[in-house]
Amino acid sequence: MLGEANLSHSAAMILHAIAAGSNYGLSVMQMTGLPSGTIYPALRRLERDGLIRSQWERQSIADAEQRPLRKYYRLTRTGQATLEASQKRYPLLAKLTSASETEQP
Amino acid sequence: MITLLQQVLLRCAALLVAGSERREWLAEWRSELWYARRELGPRRAMLFCFGAIHDALWYSRNSSRCGVREIANLDSPARCVGLLTVFAAASLLVAYHIPDRPPITDQRSEPSFLLIFVVACLIIMGPQSLSLADYRANRSLPCRLTRLGRWVFLAAKIALILLTSYAPLRYLDYAAMAHPRGRPAGLVVQFVVWGLVFTFRWSLHDQGERCPVCLRRLGNPVRVGEPAGYFLEWNCTEFMCLRGHGMLYVPECHTSWFNRPRWYYMDCSTGASD
Repeated sequence: MLGEANLSHSAAMILHAIAAGSNYGLSVMQMTGLPSGTIYPALRRLERDGLIRSQWERQSIADAEQRPLRKYYRLTRTGQATLEASQKRYPLLAKLTSASETEQP
Repeated sequence: MITLLQQVLLRCAALLVAGSERREWLAEWRSELWYARRELGPRRAMLFCFGAIHDALWYSRNSSRCGVREIANLDSPARCVGLLTVFAAASLLVAYHIPDRPPITDQRSEPSFLLIFVVACLIIMGPQSLSLADYRANRSLPCRLTRLGRWVFLAAKIALILLTSYAPLRYLDYAAMAHPRGRPAGLVVQFVVWGLVFTFRWSLHDQGERCPVCLRRLGNPVRVGEPAGYFLEWNCTEFMCLRGHGMLYVPECHTSWFNRPRWYYMDCSTGASD
């Protein structure tokens, strides 16, 4: 399990973005401003360390909206605790992601 | 055409992912690409697609390790020294079985082993500086014993590399005397020089990629900044100690203000102070 001490700034940003409602890769990317080559491996790492959990949406929902299935990520309890600890370590985290949100068209 | 290119890129990247995970990996990337095309446009979707290569590389490095890969995993300092010790012991064992050299008949044909070391050292030092990283850019440094441990580890690696080179050197000695004008000696000289250059460079590179406190390999590389904002912000790759001792920032381009990797300890000063 990943402790609070070894969560890098970028990983904390990604965790924060997921907690803020960006629950799939592309939206995390748009919220944090990090490139896809950073986001997706980071999501794998966070999932491996038990901080987030992924789940494919139901086929019926995607079919009804005529779009491909999407994989959603959400925080686990450990992830939530780690995020709270990392917010103390990185106090500007919330501001960074909210700035990215306002920059988006 | 761009769509086809993106599909080919994803297919090629998928080859790096283990067979059992490939289908799901590809499904996720295809799905995300579909949304990226709609939300980002074709050009940025193409850039988005390149991330699949990084992701697939991550998978290939981190999927369940087997056999040889597990042995070659040198993350822990004990394992690294252990593996080098095995090589050194094997080299000594081989050297023991090489017959003694015949009596010298032609003094001019004896190669200078000292010269081999000097040439190897010059090749190592020539292209770049030997500095590992800047560890002093911190308010508080770890105790002297911890700092000493880093140098002891480096010295142990170099000593074991030198011991490993003993068998080829002994063979060189034998071959040079047995066949003064023959090819074997020349080939072994080249082998020893380049072998030493490669392993010395590896030991320095490996040292630079380790945490100065626990000496374990750093992980979780993340690109920070953009080349466009070069003069305004950091443009580097961030590595971190998986035990939380600190972070290493490796510059993408060397500048007068950031010309070598910089290490930051994660001490109590890193935390928030409202």
